[in-house]
Amino acid sequence: MLEFAPDLTVVGLVASDACAVIETLAGRLAARHCVSADYGAQTYARELEHPTGLPTRPYCIAFPHADAAGVTRSALAVAILSQPVTFQNMADPAEALPVEAVFLLANKRPEEQVSTLRRLAQLFGQPERLLALRAQSRPEAVTTWLKAELGLE
Amino acid sequence: MGKLIIVACGAGINTSTIAEDCIRERLAKEGLGDVEVKRILMADIDKFVGRMNLIVSMMKIFRTFDVPIVQGMPFLIGTQQEKNALLDKIVGLIKA
Repeated sequence: MLEFAPDLTVVGLVASDACAVIETLAGRLAARHCVSADYGAQTYARELEHPTGLPTRPYCIAFPHADAAGVTRSALAVAILSQPVTFQNMADPAEALPVEAVFLLANKRPEEQVSTLRRLAQLFGQPERLLALRAQSRPEAVTTWLKAELGLE
Repeated sequence: MGKLIIVACGAGINTSTIAEDCIRERLAKEGLGDVEVKRILMADIDKFVGRMNLIVSMMKIFRTFDVPIVQGMPFLIGTQQEKNALLDKIVGLIKA
């Protein structure tokens, strides 16, 4: 089961760059003891080598994650940004994307999360669903909406 | 030996898991359960040259191989129609 909760959700996050977004979300995961204290640093280091920005419509998203080593319990943390932040494109690292929502995944065993990952990919492929996500104004509302969307709990 | 589809991405964790699962599910429906699907790191791809029949890549590839290469990104961000079209293409190539 993938853990997700209002304290793993930030709505209207003000962040200067990708590193700040990742550190904020990893900090939320660490506060719940889902990941080690250095998971943010690990994830950002991996992001520089293997970027996770995605050219979704109608706005771009990013899907950062690190190796399972720093993960105690599988969990998801989500930020909806107040202003776009640059992430590089996963398919083409030379391309910079203005990202407006970030899904930070801490995954202990990806094989066990396949159904959730596929529902996440379904969400990424539906512009009207991404608009509906961004229209949520409170962390509790984002959590309820996304849990239903991903079939969590 | 049966045919082999390689799913390659930069780090071999979450995105290739999604593509692998979509492809396996479709192959089973097509009665092609003997086709092996394996996710790997792009950096390891040379180990499979001569053994693989098709590459599904989650990244741009700047070199050529002696087998077809399909871009797998629609598995992650495509509409359901785009995902299905990509599966049609993969099934067509692996049956050929």
